[in-house]
Amino acid sequence: MTFVVNDKCIKCKYMDCVEVCPVDCFYEGENMLVIHPDECIDCGVCEPECPADAIKPDTEPGLEKWLKLNAEYATRWPNITVKRDAPPDAKDWDGVPEKFQKFFSPEPGQGD
Amino acid sequence: MGPAIQSSAAIDRVSEEAIRRLVDEFYVKVRADAVLGPIFARAIPGDWGPHLATMRNFWSSVMLTSGRYKGNPVAVHGRVAGIEIDMFDRWLALFEETCNELLEPNLAETFRAKALRIAESLKLSLFYRPDRPWPRGAA
Repeated sequence: MTFVVNDKCIKCKYMDCVEVCPVDCFYEGENMLVIHPDECIDCGVCEPECPADAIKPDTEPGLEKWLKLNAEYATRWPNITVKRDAPPDAKDWDGVPEKFQKFFSPEPGQGD
Repeated sequence: MGPAIQSSAAIDRVSEEAIRRLVDEFYVKVRADAVLGPIFARAIPGDWGPHLATMRNFWSSVMLTSGRYKGNPVAVHGRVAGIEIDMFDRWLALFEETCNELLEPNLAETFRAKALRIAESLKLSLFYRPDRPWPRGAA
């Protein structure tokens, strides 16, 4: 079991989660983060930290798509363990629907 | 296990001091345990000070979101010689016993539930194989 990041993270990327994660299992894309499912220990610390409500336990139904995306991009994107500033317009994107279809980027972020 | 020992001094809120007592007393039990003792003695042959500090930091990070622990417990457990899946149940039983002795019931349950989830996650990471039934022994 693991927690997963869904598309609510896209273009918000607040990164509060990386600071509290005890096991450094967040990986950074250009405009979102993902969790490495093999490194996450399911401690749940990150879930309430996310201002965008983008982190969910994979026991919730309908998350298969996001689990797959997290697993795939965690191996391609760089590890991030230190929080940086969120994008200046993060708040504008909070809660905007269909962010995956419109804005998902497979490009890596800068990482630590 | 007998009934939980509840004294009037039972800890009712999470603090660094509560975590220190819980961790220290838990590992006294672990080291004395017939099953877990030898495994931990092999993994930590010398000074236990650093391990206890690590585990206090870990629980501080998990219960107080302090960010004090940074590590990869999946990889660390993968390197432990002789580790077996049933040992996680033994670990959890001793942890629950310690929680019940030191903590007020609601707080004991909070720690226990957290430990259970983390243990399940570690078990999956270490022992799950896609071509075998899970939980082990199912199907």
